[in-house]
Amino acid sequence: MDYPIWDVSIGPSMMIAIVAIAHVIVSHFAVGGGLLIAVTETLALRRSDEHLRELARRSSLVLILISTVFGAISGVGIWVTVGLAAPAAISALIHNYVWGWAIEWVFFIVEIVAALVYYNTWGKVKKGTHVMIAWVYFVAAYMSLVIINGIITFMLTPGKWLETRAFWDGFFNPTYWPALVLRTGIVLIMAVVFMAFSALGADPEARPRLMRFLGGWLAAGTLVAYAGYRWWESALPEGIRGLFSGADPALATLATTRHFLLWALTATLVLGVLLLVAFPRAARWPTLVVLLVAAASFFGGYERLREGVRKPYIIHDYMFSNGLRVDQLAEVREKGVLPSATWAAHPSSEDPEVRGRQIFRAQCAVCHTLDGYQSIKALVPEDPDMTYSVLYTLYDMSDAYTSLAPGATVDKSKLDYPFMPPFAGTEEEMEDLTAYLVTLVSNGGGL
Amino acid sequence: MNGNLVPALDATPLPGPPWLFHVLLVFTFVLHVLFMNLTLGGTILAAFSQVFSGGKAGDYRTVLASRLMGINVYGISLTITSGVAPLLFIQLLYGQYFYTATILLSWMWFGFLVILILGYYATYVYKFRGVPAKGSGGTVWLCLSAVMFLLIAMVHVAVNLVHAQPGKWAAFAEDPWSVLGDSTYVVRLLHFVLAAIAMSALVIVYWAVRRAKAGEDVELNTEIASYAWKWALLMTALQIADGFALLMLLPRDVLLGLMRGGAATMVPLSIAILLGIGLLMMLSRVQDPVASPKMVHGSLGTLLLVIALMSVTRHQVRILYLEPMTSNFTLESAPQWGNFLFFAVLLVAGLWTVFYMVQQVMKNPATGEEAA
Repeated sequence: MDYPIWDVSIGPSMMIAIVAIAHVIVSHFAVGGGLLIAVTETLALRRSDEHLRELARRSSLVLILISTVFGAISGVGIWVTVGLAAPAAISALIHNYVWGWAIEWVFFIVEIVAALVYYNTWGKVKKGTHVMIAWVYFVAAYMSLVIINGIITFMLTPGKWLETRAFWDGFFNPTYWPALVLRTGIVLIMAVVFMAFSALGADPEARPRLMRFLGGWLAAGTLVAYAGYRWWESALPEGIRGLFSGADPALATLATTRHFLLWALTATLVLGVLLLVAFPRAARWPTLVVLLVAAASFFGGYERLREGVRKPYIIHDYMFSNGLRVDQLAEVREKGVLPSATWAAHPSSEDPEVRGRQIFRAQCAVCHTLDGYQSIKALVPEDPDMTYSVLYTLYDMSDAYTSLAPGATVDKSKLDYPFMPPFAGTEEEMEDLTAYLVTLVSNGGGL
Repeated sequence: MNGNLVPALDATPLPGPPWLFHVLLVFTFVLHVLFMNLTLGGTILAAFSQVFSGGKAGDYRTVLASRLMGINVYGISLTITSGVAPLLFIQLLYGQYFYTATILLSWMWFGFLVILILGYYATYVYKFRGVPAKGSGGTVWLCLSAVMFLLIAMVHVAVNLVHAQPGKWAAFAEDPWSVLGDSTYVVRLLHFVLAAIAMSALVIVYWAVRRAKAGEDVELNTEIASYAWKWALLMTALQIADGFALLMLLPRDVLLGLMRGGAATMVPLSIAILLGIGLLMMLSRVQDPVASPKMVHGSLGTLLLVIALMSVTRHQVRILYLEPMTSNFTLESAPQWGNFLFFAVLLVAGLWTVFYMVQQVMKNPATGEEAA
C-alpha cells in the first residue's frame, strides 16, 4: 500500500493473470512432458521402437523451444509482474518462503541443464545414458512443482501458519496434497496435448498407434485431475467453498466458473478418447487445437476459480489484495490510510477530492482502473448518497475482520461484498473518497 | 535527501541472518554475471564478427560468431536460471528500494521480458538457419539478438541506479527516463558491456587455442584466437579507463565510504584494479595466443577473479549508496536454519547431479548405430 502504483489500463491484477496463465500452461507441459518423454524413450529403448523414439525426439524440441525459453522467461515474468502490481504481497511471500524458492531454484538449474543436455545429445550418447538424462529432467521438473505447489496453496489456505508462522505449517497446508494430485493430472493432460502435435509428424502408419499411446495417458490424466479437483474442493474451508459450491452458492460467477471447468474437463476426456484412442486418424491440427482449447479451458477455469475464491485476499486471512495486512486494519481505521500510504499520499493535500483520489490509489487501484478493466467510473452510482452508502457498507465490513479470533476465518459468503477488501480508513477519509468518486460521475474524473 | 518515499520494512523478519543473504546475493550474482557476460558480450562480439566477415562461410570471424552463439544457446538459458537467485535475494534484502525502482521504471522493467523473449528466439532462428549462419539473414538475426541483450543491460543498469538513490525518487517519478541522464549511467553500462565482451573473447581464445594445440584446424583456430585476443585487449584497455571514470563519478559520500571502509572495501577494489592492470599487460605482451597457452589460461583466470572481486565491490557500493536510508531500519531475523541446511544440501546434490550428467555424456558417446 505504501509503494508507487503501477498504472496500467487493463489493471495490474489483469497483467498478473495474463502472464501467470501463459506461464502455467507452458510450465505444466514442461513437467508432464518430462514424464511422458522419459516414458516414451524408455519404452522405445525396451521395444526397439524407432517410432516411439522419434516421438520423444520431436517432443523434446518443443520442450526446449517452449519450456526452457518461454517457460523460464515467463516464470521470471510472474515475479516481475507481481513485484510491479503487488510488491507488498510478493515481499511477504519471499520473507516467509525464501528457502522454498531457493530450493526450487536448485531443481530449476538441474531441470534446465538436463533439458539442454537431453535435446543436444540425441544420437550423440548411448541410448541408456540419454534415457537417464530424461528421467533426471522429469524428477527435477516435478520437484519444482512439488515446491511451488506449497507456496501457491499457502496463499489460499495458510492453515496453521496463521497461528504458528512456521514454514512447514504453511507449506503443508490443507489444500497442499489435493492440489498436488490435481496438478499432477493437469501436467499429464498438457503433456499429451502438446505431444499429440509432435505425433502428427510421425510416419502415417505408426501415427494411430502413437496417438492411442498418448490417449491412454490423457485419460489417466483427466481422471487424476478430476479426483484431485474434488478432493481440493472438499479440503477448502466451508467459508470458501460456500462461495461457489453447494445448493445456494454465494457468488454466481464463481459457481458458473466451477461448472465451466468441470464441463471443460469432461470435454477434454471425451475429445481425447475420440480423437486419440477411438479414431486416431481424425487427429489433425484443427481437431487437436480443439482438444488444446478444451484442456486449457479446464486448466484456466481452475486457476480462475482458485484466484477468485481467494479474493479479497492475496494471502488468505493475512493480507488483502491491496497490500493491507489484516492486523493493520484496526490501526488504519483509527489513524487513517493516508499516513501510511507513502506514495499514494504524495504530495500531501487538504483538498478532499485530491485526498479522495489518493485514497482510491492506495486502496482500490490494484484492482480498479479509471476507464479500463473493472472501471471505477462504470461502477460508481450517479447518486452520491448511494456511493457513500456502498462505502459505508465496505467500512462496516472491517468489523468482521477485526473481531476475529486468532487463526479464525471470515465467512466470506456472509459478507455483502465478499470479493472486496473492507474500506480501511477513518470516516473522514470515507467522505473524501466519496467526494472524489462523485467527480468521476459529474466531470469524468478530471483530477 | 528526501527519505519520506521509502516504503515501510516488511513486517515479517528475515528467515536468516542478514549477512547470510548478503553472501548468497553476491555469490549467486557472480554465478549469474559469468553466464550473463557470455550472453551479452558473446552476442555483441558475434554480431560484430559476423558483420565484419559479411557472413562469408569459412571466414574465421563467421566461425567465431557461430561458436559463440553455439555456446549461447545454452548460455542464455543458464543466464536466466542463474539470475533467479540474486533476484530472490535482492528482493529479500532491499525489497523496499528494488520494488519501488521497478515500479517507477515499470514499462522498461516489464518490457525487458518481451525483449528477452525476442532476443532468445532470434538466437534460435540464427542457430536453425545453420551454423555457421547462411548469408546475411543470419547476420540480421544475430544483430537483433545483440541489440535486445544490450537493451536488457540498459534496463538493469537503470533499475539499479534508481533503487540505490531514494533521494531522487521524486524526480524519477516525474520523468523515469531521466535516469538515463544520471552522471554514472553510461560509464556503468559500459563497465558491464566491456567486461562482458572481454570475457567472451577470452573464452573463445581459450577454446581456439585448445583446438589448435590438439591439431584441429590449426590455421583457422590460430586466426580466431588472434582476432579474439585483440578484442580482449581493446576491451580491457577501455575498461580500465572506464573503471577509473566510474570511480571518479561516484557520489562523493559513496567514494569516501569506499576509501574509509578499510580492508573490507579497499582490499577487493585494490586487488581488482591491480589485477586488471596486470591483465592488460599480459594481453599486450602476446601476439600469438596459440604459442602462449599459459598466458591464455592466466588471462582468463585473472579476468574471472577480477569479475568476482568487482562483484563484491559493486555490492559494497550499493550498501554505501543506500546507507543513509538503511540506517533508519533494523532488519529483524528469525532464522530457519533447518531450511537453510536443506537448501545447502540440495544445492550440493543438484550441482553433483549436473556434474554427473555431463560426466556421463562425456564418458558414453554413441557408437555405431546409436550415433545415427
